[in-house]
Amino acid sequence: MSRISKPRFNWLGLGFLAPAMIVVVLFFLAPVIMTAFFAFTNMSTSTGITGGDYLLSQSDLRSLANTKASAATLDALENAGYRVDDAGLARLAEAQGPATADEFRKLHEGDLFTSRRDMERALKDLRQHRIRSTRDRKLAAELFTSSVMDQRFDTEEAFRAALMTSGIEAADHDTLVDEAYTGWIWTTKNIELLASLSSSWRYAMNTAIYVSFTLAFNVGFGLFLAISTFYLSPRVAATFRTIWFLPRVLPPVLYVLMWYWLTWDTGIISTLAGYFGVAPRNWMLDTGTNAWVVVILINGFVGASLGMILFSSAIKAIPASMLHASEVDGANRWQQVRYIILPQLRWPILFTSSYQTLSLLTSFEYILLATDGGPGGTTEVWALAAYHTALNNYGGNLQYGLGAAYALVLVVIGIVTSLLYLRFFNFRELVSKPRIEQ
Amino acid sequence: MQLKLKNFTKTFDSTTVIDGMDLTVNDGEMMALLGPSGCGKSTTLFTICGIHRMNGGTLHFGDREVSNLPSQQRNVGVVFQNYALYPHMDIRDNIAFPLRVQKLDSTTIARKVKEIAELVHIPELLDRRPAQLSGGQQQRVALARALVRKPDVLLLDEPLANLDAKLRLEMRSEIRRIQLETGITAILVTHDQVEAMSMCDRIALMKDGKIVQLSEPSEMYNNPSNVFVAGFLGNPPISFVKAQVQGDDFGFGNNRVAVAPGLKFRVGGALQLGIRPEHFGPQFGRDVQGKISFVENQGREDLYNVTLENGVVIRSIQPAGTRLKLGETVSWGVSSENVLTFDLQGARL
Repeated sequence: MSRISKPRFNWLGLGFLAPAMIVVVLFFLAPVIMTAFFAFTNMSTSTGITGGDYLLSQSDLRSLANTKASAATLDALENAGYRVDDAGLARLAEAQGPATADEFRKLHEGDLFTSRRDMERALKDLRQHRIRSTRDRKLAAELFTSSVMDQRFDTEEAFRAALMTSGIEAADHDTLVDEAYTGWIWTTKNIELLASLSSSWRYAMNTAIYVSFTLAFNVGFGLFLAISTFYLSPRVAATFRTIWFLPRVLPPVLYVLMWYWLTWDTGIISTLAGYFGVAPRNWMLDTGTNAWVVVILINGFVGASLGMILFSSAIKAIPASMLHASEVDGANRWQQVRYIILPQLRWPILFTSSYQTLSLLTSFEYILLATDGGPGGTTEVWALAAYHTALNNYGGNLQYGLGAAYALVLVVIGIVTSLLYLRFFNFRELVSKPRIEQ
Repeated sequence: MQLKLKNFTKTFDSTTVIDGMDLTVNDGEMMALLGPSGCGKSTTLFTICGIHRMNGGTLHFGDREVSNLPSQQRNVGVVFQNYALYPHMDIRDNIAFPLRVQKLDSTTIARKVKEIAELVHIPELLDRRPAQLSGGQQQRVALARALVRKPDVLLLDEPLANLDAKLRLEMRSEIRRIQLETGITAILVTHDQVEAMSMCDRIALMKDGKIVQLSEPSEMYNNPSNVFVAGFLGNPPISFVKAQVQGDDFGFGNNRVAVAPGLKFRVGGALQLGIRPEHFGPQFGRDVQGKISFVENQGREDLYNVTLENGVVIRSIQPAGTRLKLGETVSWGVSSENVLTFDLQGARL
C-alpha cells in the first residue's frame, strides 16, 4: 500500500512569494485584463473614462432617426415649444415674484407657443407686473420650455422626469435615455467593427509581412554573424560583435535619425547616387517597397544583434572536442557548420524565432519613428494601428475602446502563438537537462 | 602505415611545450605515449591529427609528408577522451559521418558502417542516440567512427579515463583486439601505466616534453633508464634507498644487499638502489631489518611498508595470508639480481 503524501503548504512560503506575485499581477496580468475590459467599451475622448450626463443633442436626433423611435417623438423633440403650465408658472413665480406669475396665468394659462419669439411676445402682454429688461424676458421665456433637447441632466431620474413632463410617448423613453447618455457603455461594437473594416485585413497583412521578413532577417543575419565571428580570432570577433550590437544600445530615436540621414532626399544614399546621375529621392518613403525595406532593415539590425549574442554563446557551448572530431573526420568548414553547428543551434534558433515573433507582433516603435505607417498606410502594422486609434488619432477623438480591441486581438494571437510554440516545439524536452555528458 | 615525427617542436605563446622530439611508430604497431599530466603527450597527439600546428619539425605518414596539412586531409582517426559523439545524430549517422563528408554513395556507406559496427560489436545499437548508450558503448561508437574510413593512423586520447573500473578492463582488451584485427598503426595517450603496459607494443615515456625512454613494456619495467621511469612504472611503486658499496654488498645502515654476481662497483661509492615490492620479502634472506609501518590487505596479496632504522621505507608485496601486524619487527631480504642501481643524479648504472 502506498501513501501519497500531501504537498505541504506553508504560509511563510506564500509570504515570500507575495512580492513576486504582486508584481506579476500588477505588471503582467493587469494590462491584459485592462485591455480586455476597455475593448468591450466605447470609451473615447468624448465619453471620458468616468460616468456621464444625459444630454440630447442635434446629432443625437440624427442618429435617433435611424432607430425605432416613433416619428411623433422625433417631432415632439424637434418642435417642442413653450407651454404655460403650472410647473413653468411656479418657476416664474420664483424668478419674478408670485404677482407676476398670477397675472401671466390669467393671460395665457394653457397656451402653447412654438417659437421663443412668440413666447417672449406673450410675456410682453403683462401690464401690471411688467418684466422690463429684454434679458430678463428671455430668461423668463426659457422657464416655460417644454423640450428636453440641449439640456444637461445629472441623473437618469431627472432626465426621465423631464421626458414625462414633455409629453413624449413612454414607449420611446428607454431609447432616448440610451441615446442621451454621454458616458461610456459596454459594447461589442468594437469587435464587430474590426471584423467588418477592410483596413483590418490590410493591417493584418502588413503585420504578417513585417513579422515574417524581419524575423527571417533577424535569425538569418544573426546566425551569419555568430558563425562568421566564431571563426575569427577572439579579439576581432569581439570588435565585430560590439559594432553589431550598437543599434540595440543606441536610443531608438537616435538610431532612426541616422536612418533619416541615410535615406532622405538630401541624405547619404541620394548624395552618393547623385554622382551616378540618379535623381535624389526619399529612399525611406518614396514608394511602399522603399518603406518596407527600410522598416525591415531598421528592425532587423536591432534584432540580429540579439540573435548573434544568443547564437554565439550557443556555438561556444559546443564542446571543442566535437568540432575537432568533425575536422579530423574530414569535414570542411561548410560541412562543419551544416552538420555539427547548425543542428546543435536548434534550440536557440527556435527560442529566438518564437521570442522575436511575439515581440515583433507587438512592437511598432521603430516604424512609428521611421515611417509612422506611411506612405499612405503601407507600413501601418496592427500594433501601430492600435496606437494610432487609441492614443494618436488625427481627428482628435481618441478611441480607447476601439484601440483596446485592436490590442486585444494581439493579446489573443500572442497567447495562441505561445501555446502553439510550446506544443509544437516541445519546449519541455528542449529545456530539459543536456542529453550527453561532457 | 609508419608514422615518423622528426625534430618536432611545439610552443604555446612563449612556452615551449615540446622541444625537438623524435618518434617513429612502426606499421601496425600500437605505441603508448605515457606520462604525467602536462608532459606534452596530448599536445603530441593533437599535433599528429592536425588540431595543433607544428612550430618545427616534420611529420610523415609512410612516405607522405603531412606536417602542414589541415586535419581534414591527414586521414587520421581520433578517439577523444569524452568520445565527442554528435548528440543530434543517431549512431549510424555518427559512424557514417566521415564517409558522408566524403560524399560516398549511400550503399557504400551503409555497407562500411555495417562492417565496422560488427567489428566493434555494436550492430544492434545503430538506431539509437548517443545519450541512450552506456560509456562503454559510446566508446565503441567512437572507435567505429574513427576507423570507418580506414585511417592511416588511429589516435586514442585517454580513451578509458571516463569509464568505470570494470568497463575499463573490458575496453582495454577490446581496443587492443580491434587494433590487432585491423592492423592499424595506433597511438594511445594515457597517464595510466597499466593501460600502456597491457595494451601497447611499445611505450614512449614522456616527461616535460621529452621522451625519457622508449621501449617495450617489460623491458621498460625491468630495465628502466632512470629513477623517473622506474618510479613511474609499477604499482605499488618501487622504493629507492641510498646505499654505499661495501665489498660485495650494498650497505645502508646495518642492512645489506648482496651485489649480484658479475657486477662490479667502485668500493665506497654512493648510489641509489631501486627495490620493487615483489623483490623484498622473507624469501630473499634476512639482511634487512625494519618495522612494519603499514599493512594493506588486497585480497590476493598483502602490501607492507617496512620502515628501516634510518627512516627509509621499503614496500613489499607478499602472497595473502602472511598476517603480519603493524609494528612487528621483521628481518627480510632483497633479491639481489633484481635490484636496480642508479647514481645519485638518478641515471641508471
